[in-house]
Amino acid sequence: MNCEVCQLKELEVEHFEIREVLRCILHTIVFHRALGLVRPKDIDLELFEITYVQCGDVEVEKKIDEKIEQFISWVEKHPNKKSQICLSFYEVKNKQQSWFTNKIERLYWEQCKSHHSKVVFDPGESTSEERSIRRAALEASLRDVLFQIIKFVNEKKDHVPPISEGVVYFPYEITLPSSSDSAFGMDMIKRMLQTGHPTMLN
Amino acid sequence: MASSHSNVHSEAAKMEQIITEFHTKSLHIILESRSPYVSSRNFSGEQILSSPSSSSSSSSSVRPRDKWFNLALRECPAALENLDLWRQSNLEPMVIDVILVQRPVNWDTVNFSPRRELVRNLSSKERYPFCWGSDQEEIGCEGKSEKIVERWVVKYESRKVRDCSSGSRRSSNNTLSNVYKKSILLLRSLYATVRILPAYKIFRDLNSSGQICTFSLAHRVSSFVEPFTRKEEAEFQRFGFTPVDTSCGRLCISVLFRSSLSDVNSEPSTPISPQVIPDYVGSPMADPLKRLPSLPISHGSPSSLPFSRRHSWSYDLYKASPPSVSFSPSPTYSEPHVSISNPRSRCYPPMSLPPHPPETSLVHKKDTSFDEYCPSPNFTPSTSPSPPIYIPGGHLSKGLLRSESAPFSIPAAKLLSSKQNMFPSSPIKIARSGTSKIEKSMGPNEKLLSLGKDDSRRYSGVKLSANSSPQISFSRSSSRSFQDDFDDEFPCPFDVEDIVPNSRPESFDQKGLVSDPHDPGGFFPIRKSQDAAVGALVCMLKKAPPLRQDLSSTTNLSEVSRPESWSNNTLEPSRMSSGENAPSQSVLTSGLLASKTTADALEELRSYKEMKNLLVSQGARSHASANYPSPAEP
Repeated sequence: MNCEVCQLKELEVEHFEIREVLRCILHTIVFHRALGLVRPKDIDLELFEITYVQCGDVEVEKKIDEKIEQFISWVEKHPNKKSQICLSFYEVKNKQQSWFTNKIERLYWEQCKSHHSKVVFDPGESTSEERSIRRAALEASLRDVLFQIIKFVNEKKDHVPPISEGVVYFPYEITLPSSSDSAFGMDMIKRMLQTGHPTMLN
Repeated sequence: MASSHSNVHSEAAKMEQIITEFHTKSLHIILESRSPYVSSRNFSGEQILSSPSSSSSSSSSVRPRDKWFNLALRECPAALENLDLWRQSNLEPMVIDVILVQRPVNWDTVNFSPRRELVRNLSSKERYPFCWGSDQEEIGCEGKSEKIVERWVVKYESRKVRDCSSGSRRSSNNTLSNVYKKSILLLRSLYATVRILPAYKIFRDLNSSGQICTFSLAHRVSSFVEPFTRKEEAEFQRFGFTPVDTSCGRLCISVLFRSSLSDVNSEPSTPISPQVIPDYVGSPMADPLKRLPSLPISHGSPSSLPFSRRHSWSYDLYKASPPSVSFSPSPTYSEPHVSISNPRSRCYPPMSLPPHPPETSLVHKKDTSFDEYCPSPNFTPSTSPSPPIYIPGGHLSKGLLRSESAPFSIPAAKLLSSKQNMFPSSPIKIARSGTSKIEKSMGPNEKLLSLGKDDSRRYSGVKLSANSSPQISFSRSSSRSFQDDFDDEFPCPFDVEDIVPNSRPESFDQKGLVSDPHDPGGFFPIRKSQDAAVGALVCMLKKAPPLRQDLSSTTNLSEVSRPESWSNNTLEPSRMSSGENAPSQSVLTSGLLASKTTADALEELRSYKEMKNLLVSQGARSHASANYPSPAEP
């Protein structure tokens, strides 16, 4: 099964911006993969003039926030390091052919990776003007990322599994840099390395 | 065979339905985030604030419409309306233009032109007879510039028939469920995209509560594309969604959007500028309400309230000096209101209305406090400062001048004095005016009266003011004149009267006498506010009948004239309406002007009736004894 990979543009964010930026990105992705009946919720970012959409599911919101907190704590432990957060969608298949286990296999069909590099930023040396410029640049970049997601969703539709009745969103997991990701096969990593194409490898 | 055939058939029908619903949903998604009056965004805001679950509260039950593409949207009447108009067949494209409507920053009509040059001015009605703007009134309004900020094209491109049939069999890719899934995906991304595009910020600004904008968004839906010029096209960026292939064609959505709307965005942010969007205010009624919330209530004394109001009106005058006073509820009329409200909210200082700017807000808020409002403000200033006599001259001249340029109504308002002016602005005021005005007038009047009885001539002015009250119905026009009224309130009435006296000083005495008997309160002597007011009304009414007569010869009078003539003119019509035709007219006028509540109108009517009765009863006597108004009679 194909696993589409979407490499999102790298963003330079300050520490206090991480939460909003990640929420915006992750929710936007999930919204596009929540193909069940949803009542979308518009969220205005506080730091940026951007509105993104949530699928309106409380569980999703909770899970994303949890992961973001973990991510932030990881970032705090690894200052000034580039970091990545990965959102993967999978299908659950009961491996019935294996008799002795009813192991559940996850078939990943999509991974969206968001890269973040933390800016070394000394507030003392920066003027408000510089800050606003930087903020504007980040806003533009974030907007680009959102467009990137939208384009990806538009262009790649065939790999999306069929919609099953009553399921609002496809199962997903969010992986952080620290966690040893079983989800990432060598295969995926190879593919990622193969091409510099930012959006997708398949 | 048959079954398979029917399956194919039903499948085609389903596909048709998907295509149709796809258009519907697309339209809904787009307009929901572009049609500010639907205020869908307010919904979301509430939802966010309260709780996530509440988001569905507005429509917790899933409507059939929501199930399509698994996307539950908020109600968007605009979308439904447009859909009915647009939908002919699946083969017609659906073109949705999102139009930025900018209102002139200044009232001055002259200023409109430059903008038009910059921006393409579409007379939408001419070009798009079938297009429906979200707010058609606005589109029709002159002085607004419109420019298309987004053009969405949703269309179904069908292949040739044979490709179609073969295609469906060929690729399992295009099965119904697959098409449906992909269109869900497409609509999801449409939903997100609509919120990322620059025009969404305008929509946001429009729906953000407190902000008053000089622009608005409209839209039109049609089935053909009006091509842009090359130059125009250069200003747009294009974003094409990846089409969804169906068995017989494909579903496409694309958008042309302006990447930069900076010019628009900058305007609303300027807090100081007096720019106001008239439409926003809507009806005069609406304005006060709107203002109220924002304005601080604390300001104060009830008495001050009236003042403040006037100020607000006066504001308009200062700023705009709006050229034409239109009685109609239409935008033009509303403008003055808007201007007033906006300026205040944004900046009290600029207008620098002298008296009590802060207080104004209070007035609006408290409609109920009419009495309070009526009584004091005007009178206090006017009474002490200005001796009746001289004021008249200045006021009269102003009134005359203005009257020339503007519809008679304005002058009338001035003449009528602040009291009358008050009426037009708000229905409530009118009701008050009947009683309260009298009271107010009483204050000054009393002083005058004390003098007046002795010097009936001079004080006749006072009576006039009383007379003016009936005119209320006309006052609406006076909105602009408020300033003047405000300043001149007292003087005007006096002036008029003064003039009048010349014609028949005697009449005054008689009137006064008459009034006294009829109304125990006795106009002049008695301070009791209500009684006095009644008395004043009676006096006015008495005067009125002659005026009617004058009306027939109004032109002469006006020309002749002096303030009197003016007062006569204005008074007469109003009286006529109130007394004779009246109830209906007065009501109508009030409604037009300020969309007063029916209760207000009723009150007004009642007061008129009372006055009428009194007049009739008194009138017979008074007329018999001395027809003050009619020139013919000595």
